[in-house]
Amino acid sequence: MINRKWLTLMLSAGLVASLAGCGSSRNTNEERAAGSSAEQTTGTQTESGSKPELKTLNLWSKDDYNTYTLAKVVEEKTGYKVKYEMLPADKAMDKLNLLISSAEPYDVITINGEKAVYTDYAKMGALVDLTPLIDKYGENIKASISPESFEAMKVDGKIYAIPNRASEFAGSSLMIRTDWLDKLGLKMPTTLDEFTAVLKAFKEKDPGGNGDKGAPLSIDGAMATMVNVTGAFGIATSWNIVDGKLVAAPVHPGFKEYLSYMADLYKQGLLDKEFAVNKDATLKEKFTSGRVGVIPLAWYDIPGIADALTKNFPDAKYAYVPALKGKDGQAGIGMSGGFDRLTFIPKSSKHPEDAIKWINAKLDKETFKLIAIGEEGKHFTYKDGVYSPILPLFTDERGLASNYLTGIDEKLYPVYWQARVQKDPRLFAGFTFLNKEIPAEFRISDPLALAPSLPEYSKYNASLNQMINDFAVKVIVGEESTDAMAAFVEKYNAAGGEASAKEVNEWYASVKK
Amino acid sequence: MTKRTKGDLLLDTGVYLFLIALGLMMLLPLASVFSKSVSEEWAITSGKVGILPVGFQLDTLMQVISSSLFIRAFCISVGVTAIGTLISILMTALTAYPLSKRKLPGISFIMVLFIFTMLFSGGLIPNYLLMRQLHLINNLWVLILPGMISVFNMLVIKSYYESLPEALEESARIDGAKTYTILFRIILPLSMPVIATIALFYAVGYWNDYFGPMIYINETALKTLQLYLQDVVMDANSANLTNKSVDDLMNMSPEGIRAATVVASTVPILLVYPFMQKYFIKGVLIGSVKG
Repeated sequence: MINRKWLTLMLSAGLVASLAGCGSSRNTNEERAAGSSAEQTTGTQTESGSKPELKTLNLWSKDDYNTYTLAKVVEEKTGYKVKYEMLPADKAMDKLNLLISSAEPYDVITINGEKAVYTDYAKMGALVDLTPLIDKYGENIKASISPESFEAMKVDGKIYAIPNRASEFAGSSLMIRTDWLDKLGLKMPTTLDEFTAVLKAFKEKDPGGNGDKGAPLSIDGAMATMVNVTGAFGIATSWNIVDGKLVAAPVHPGFKEYLSYMADLYKQGLLDKEFAVNKDATLKEKFTSGRVGVIPLAWYDIPGIADALTKNFPDAKYAYVPALKGKDGQAGIGMSGGFDRLTFIPKSSKHPEDAIKWINAKLDKETFKLIAIGEEGKHFTYKDGVYSPILPLFTDERGLASNYLTGIDEKLYPVYWQARVQKDPRLFAGFTFLNKEIPAEFRISDPLALAPSLPEYSKYNASLNQMINDFAVKVIVGEESTDAMAAFVEKYNAAGGEASAKEVNEWYASVKK
Repeated sequence: MTKRTKGDLLLDTGVYLFLIALGLMMLLPLASVFSKSVSEEWAITSGKVGILPVGFQLDTLMQVISSSLFIRAFCISVGVTAIGTLISILMTALTAYPLSKRKLPGISFIMVLFIFTMLFSGGLIPNYLLMRQLHLINNLWVLILPGMISVFNMLVIKSYYESLPEALEESARIDGAKTYTILFRIILPLSMPVIATIALFYAVGYWNDYFGPMIYINETALKTLQLYLQDVVMDANSANLTNKSVDDLMNMSPEGIRAATVVASTVPILLVYPFMQKYFIKGVLIGSVKG
């Protein structure tokens, strides 16, 4: 009895205390915020002569930013001492939200190219408007970054971030066991029909000799829209141009044909029966253990695959399938583009001007080259316009260089960057094939790569992609027929597809003019 | 001794088989991670590594153990665990002692205060704000001070104290011992089984603490081992791959490294168990019966 009375008393006391606590803490926060902004303005005035220590927040990296060789190089060249902190690898954006909303005094924050996150912060008023700062202190910034990229950064006409534009390239295609082709006396397929024929031969004649007659082709269950093959149906990227308008894959007429082609492969037993539950690792496992002969693979995964494959089958050979041509000669491999990193200055920064000066100093031509690829003769060699890395020093001291780049020289960096791809000759061969040997007209750019943040589009994009994938898997395994397509498109449009298309096309029309 | 019937035998066999199966179910994933950490990368990629390692090598483990981030995180975790356990066990034992005396004035009120904290807490955001006001963000004490005394553990020790015969204290008092002498020379030595058990609880808790450091520690130099481990493992999680740039993808750690990191951060705390085993079972039993 007594206990219960105490408990009620405690409960009500706790409630009152927590209410009072919330109220007062909000007040102190506002006071603090007001105080810090006042501090900030006075701070920058008094410190204009000396260089303060900058505090930066970066993406997770397997090495400590502060002790990696480049930290010293950057400090020597810019004259700024920098304290680097990292976001966690998992749920980085949640943590960033916490830090931004508690106004931690970071001077520079660099995140992945997630325009939506950046735009949210800019709209919330959490970021410093960089437009006047770049005009005043950003000579190198203006020389390095194209107006086109800045245009994509604009939120309500103001620039709040400095982008690292990604090199545009084809990232993956279908990898095929060429020793299997040779064994059966087949040629590398160049059209969709030839590709189907090769798969049939792989299944029937079992060149891998594993006797189980399993399907020769496997894909990742989360990526039921298969690279390269989609190109033969005109849907190489998730938005494609039809009659001067951008059309999303499921609305595109090629999507239905693609699905019926894949469903047919599945029915004939040419596509892995278990593909829907495949993860990236299972896919690689099946390919390197010789159970399947064709998988979609990114060129940066080639070294690991090649190691395992040659250990298991010393005679194994592999190559990328060229862009497969569909009925009317249509073909294509989608390219990625857009932005690798975005760098911005939060309002809580104590030294926004110094932060811009620091970013500007890093984009000085010589300094930028030194950070990006190092010294000639020590980290790289230069011959005939090609930068080749000197291993292993290049990997040891410049392997993580992209972490230190806040803004890039958009003309020179793509050339420098190829030194990175030459780390491994097998990887380089794959990269070269996809990006030099496949004719340019078959390498399809992502039309949305340089779009500014489109709120409707980014709101629905993830859920719509999930929807498309789920539907594609269902059709391929025969659970739904392609006749369900019309109903699906309706559902897709209602779930935000139509709103996205409207917004995307409004933007597209505005840049095409 | 009664004779075992066939039914008993059957039941025993069934129980043993079930327990062995259950044990294996828990052991096998661990064994698989362990063998991945000592296998060669090509074997992992092609899915050849199951329970036994393929192409035994220790380079991956050595590479993980010699990484400066790992060493620093490891030292921090060891430090927090050692100091935290020491402080926690001392404070818990000291708190439990007066509360084990039924004659203590206002004891029911004080007990309600303690029990209250078991049931209710301020929630994450108020806690974060509080820690910030206390300047405990990016301070390792934040991992120790707020959770210094676990009320549950305190109750276990308290009930153990209560189970000790009162005559012991009376006789000590007659011999002229004061309260602290009684506590440190008589009560605590007698309570070693439960103290050791609770110490193990605390140690494992501090070692495995992931949530606290994730929320309160931003500075790279102060990251604990569990944070480091989470980073290494989750870096390859598909949800975190979508926005990665190619450079980041090229720099990703292979699966062998991830497995080795798991092993290197789990084994140390596993080594503590055998030393505590004999206290462990006894202590929990006594606490639970009297609790």
